[in-house]
Amino acid sequence: MTMSNLDRRDFLKVLGISGAAATLAGCGHTSIESGVEEVMSYVHPQDFVVPGIGVFYASTCAQCGSGCGIMGKVREGRVLKLEGNPESGISGGKICGLGQAGVQAHYNPDRLRTPMYKGEGGLTPVSWETAHQILEQRLGPNSPLKGEQIAFLTGGVSGHQRVLLENFLETFDSTHHVTYDALSTATGRAASKAILGAEQPLWNIHKARLILSFGNDFLGSGVSPVYMARQYALFRKAPRGTLIQIEPRMTLTGGNADRWYPIKPGTEGILALGIAHDLLQHEEFSRGVPQEILDLVKNYDRDAVSDITGIGSDAVRLIAAQLWNNTPSLVIAGPSVEGHPYGFSNAAAVQLLNVILGNRGQTMEGQAEHPFPQLTPTLGSYHALADLNQKMAAGKTQALLVYGTNPVFTAPSHLPFGESMSNVPFKVAFVTHMDETAGHCDLVLPLLSALEDFGTHVAEYQPDGVEVMLQQPLMEKLYPESKGYGDILLEILKKRKPEAYAAFPDYYSYLKTAMVKAKPVFKVSDSDDHFWEDALRNGLVKWNGKPTSLEAKLPALTLPKPAELTTDYPFYFVPSIRPDMRDGRHAYLPWLQESPETMTTVVWDSWVEIHPKTAEAMQIKEGDILQIQSATGSVRAKAYLFPGIQPDTVSMPLGQGHTQLGRFATGVGVNPYKILDPIFDDRTGELAMHATRVALRKTGEHQVVVKDEGPTTFQNGQKLVATLSADQAKLSKEI
Amino acid sequence: MSLSNLIQNWNSFRTRRPYEGQYDDAPYKWAMVIDLDACIGCNACTVACYAENNLPVVGKERFGKGQAMHWIRIERYWGEGDAMTSEFPDHGAQYLPMLCQQCEAAPCEPVCPVGATHHSPDGLNTQVYNRCVGSRYCSANCPYKVRYFNWWNYPDRAWPNPLELQLNPDVTVRSKGVMEKCTFCMQRLRAGMDKAKTEGRILADGEVLTACAQACPTSAITFGNLADKKSKVARMWKNQQVDLAKDSQEKSEEGIRGYRILEELNTYPSIVYLERVRNLEA
Repeated sequence: MTMSNLDRRDFLKVLGISGAAATLAGCGHTSIESGVEEVMSYVHPQDFVVPGIGVFYASTCAQCGSGCGIMGKVREGRVLKLEGNPESGISGGKICGLGQAGVQAHYNPDRLRTPMYKGEGGLTPVSWETAHQILEQRLGPNSPLKGEQIAFLTGGVSGHQRVLLENFLETFDSTHHVTYDALSTATGRAASKAILGAEQPLWNIHKARLILSFGNDFLGSGVSPVYMARQYALFRKAPRGTLIQIEPRMTLTGGNADRWYPIKPGTEGILALGIAHDLLQHEEFSRGVPQEILDLVKNYDRDAVSDITGIGSDAVRLIAAQLWNNTPSLVIAGPSVEGHPYGFSNAAAVQLLNVILGNRGQTMEGQAEHPFPQLTPTLGSYHALADLNQKMAAGKTQALLVYGTNPVFTAPSHLPFGESMSNVPFKVAFVTHMDETAGHCDLVLPLLSALEDFGTHVAEYQPDGVEVMLQQPLMEKLYPESKGYGDILLEILKKRKPEAYAAFPDYYSYLKTAMVKAKPVFKVSDSDDHFWEDALRNGLVKWNGKPTSLEAKLPALTLPKPAELTTDYPFYFVPSIRPDMRDGRHAYLPWLQESPETMTTVVWDSWVEIHPKTAEAMQIKEGDILQIQSATGSVRAKAYLFPGIQPDTVSMPLGQGHTQLGRFATGVGVNPYKILDPIFDDRTGELAMHATRVALRKTGEHQVVVKDEGPTTFQNGQKLVATLSADQAKLSKEI
Repeated sequence: MSLSNLIQNWNSFRTRRPYEGQYDDAPYKWAMVIDLDACIGCNACTVACYAENNLPVVGKERFGKGQAMHWIRIERYWGEGDAMTSEFPDHGAQYLPMLCQQCEAAPCEPVCPVGATHHSPDGLNTQVYNRCVGSRYCSANCPYKVRYFNWWNYPDRAWPNPLELQLNPDVTVRSKGVMEKCTFCMQRLRAGMDKAKTEGRILADGEVLTACAQACPTSAITFGNLADKKSKVARMWKNQQVDLAKDSQEKSEEGIRGYRILEELNTYPSIVYLERVRNLEA
């Protein structure tokens, strides 16, 4: 490639390897291969292609941000099944249901197959030629757009997809990359950062003797569920650790707890301080604890805490005693802690227990420093979307590009993103499926599926060093008119900044050059081609970093007692996150629609969970259609009687209620995002998703709840799932 | 087949199998151990089974009629008796991965009027689709309710193009009127056993896994060859003191977790479950 018009510093930036890696050795192999030579004819198959025999290729799962290494079984040119990649430190050869369903995302009958452009009669198919003309006209070298006039709205994005995106924006003198995540953990990350100095510490689950989880569904919908599940399996081997889960609505993880407590939503921080109060009665814990912590907890005695939280004072004592007896422990907070007007303080109070218990350096460490900061994932927040929405509503945004997020579906009704989009003259969506947000765009571009495209991914949670995960096509693209996200961006970039990008025929060559250029950092002495081939074969390149240490600081906490329930809105409303549906982006996958939600076994629907005692008092039976009314809006759903819920709380799963997203998603259930009240965390400005309160109204209608469980949810004396007391189990003698 | 024939077959069947040492000289006897303390109820196994075995998605209406085709499902219970013992599930939920138990004396086998369901030499309870006439006696007789009937011709509509490209070519797509069930991923076993035979050996431990065992993030499912005394599954059965040929197990001491579900029905299942453990003091 020519270096004449491009200085070396820019060159590295183009490839996303400036920063720590800027000390790389000089140019080595930079030849460009387009990947075309990989296409093979079955008339003259290569030696390793045997008809009837499946071959596994490594890639990376793109179904969530965990970055699991996967292996795709490819046979006669088709990808058939995904397994975990044993080389991956994250997946360790395992895979979840959501990951498995990646093949259905790829073969989905409702994939977008051609570019669409909005004309008189709405979005109609156009050729790529036209699409490129439109893109060039709006975003090409002659585009007058500058700075915040252009906005790139994405979900979490990492690796070279992120680098290219930000380089693209830079050609507009813009840094306006907005990352939105409907299930944002920004509040919890901020609290963790404030108290431990790390947004997402490493949890050494397998080393913990006791895990106290406040609503963190780490086995289901948490930060890296497959990795956590693998660690959890070790945690349950001899000497078996104990899991205590405290949350308003039982999550999948809560179902695995040794002891599960229902808590009044929003009082988790107060309970944590109550536990701290009890712990600090012991001299061993109070020794060396700063006076400010002692002052903070002094008013939170057991009885006071018990009144507010609904957790008995005996239970508070018992939890503290177990933390006292089982070290090291691990205390974690999840969405049900963060989603409140004082979510930051709630989560920080929970983290404070780790400091008092001395878990830092034992079960909690800082993640290794990243050699390539530009490749790390951008993590979404709600307020980023709210800011963008304001700019759009004020007419400041002239062009909006959307990738990997669907705010028209997931934003609450008090953030009318779809309406604001009408103020933006040019809106482009990069999608595999026409979703609600793409439906509001002017130009919709059909992407390759994750199993057809190249990419690199870097996960938020890196259990051991840093793994840069490679995604490679497992088969030829199904639709000739679909294109890779990287290829589309690169084509525009080549026009805007030809001196930097003209040498790359496609995203593949860009990726290969970038990775090979980064080779010295990975301390590999192989030739460039070997390094690249190994990376593709293994599905990852690993950088051996050491965990870092965590700090301990005490931010100011505000933990008022939540207001009492009122007669207008007598129930707490807790939206639940399904491990397979997440924010709703997977609702188009039939395997997941038909996969019973584990706690309720309900399929293909939305429902509202209510405690049997509450239901009895209100004379509600399973299948009664209820109207769930908040101050913001209402939805209707079937009642499901669920014992794992705090009795003043009702819960609905997120993810259903799509109006677009294909045949398997539309017309299924309702969308509870739309009834969330405009309540925000006081520090981070994040939407307080667990703070809405609702009223229930019986409509008099009734429908059968379609679910997998039979008429009884009990074992009726048959030995189906037997339970053994931990003190009787002889796990150390087992194989 | 007359009723007397049925009864006669039943009696001979019940007295013929299993017996001690039945698989001593056999190369293979497939078996499983499922650790209910490791199972987290995540449904990775169930989706893996859909992907591997061409299970059709039936949709809400048919699911509601009990026509779901999940060969493995996660059952979720709230108590061992017939009611909650407290206001809340204090010790979590009880998750049970339920699949065909590959019974040695399978109640489904002798009632088949056409011999479509039979026992394979490696100890699997198999279903021969092209013999099946859809009497559904087998399903009626299965105490685990793990047999699934094709009430509809799913190839017509369960895989709208191009979803059919995902179908596993090694597994038959079943048509209307036949019964189907978990095969312990027979297609994987067959391919593996054939390869091993070509190479003049038997399969090594862990060389072939069922799709559910391979996916399981907590490795709660252990699959292997019970005829190979050194295999992990055989060592676990022995360690848990479960004997394939006995219908009640004597344990040398308390706290040994292995048991078979509904063993008292003399079905001699090939799956040992390990009791869920809970710290009840917590």
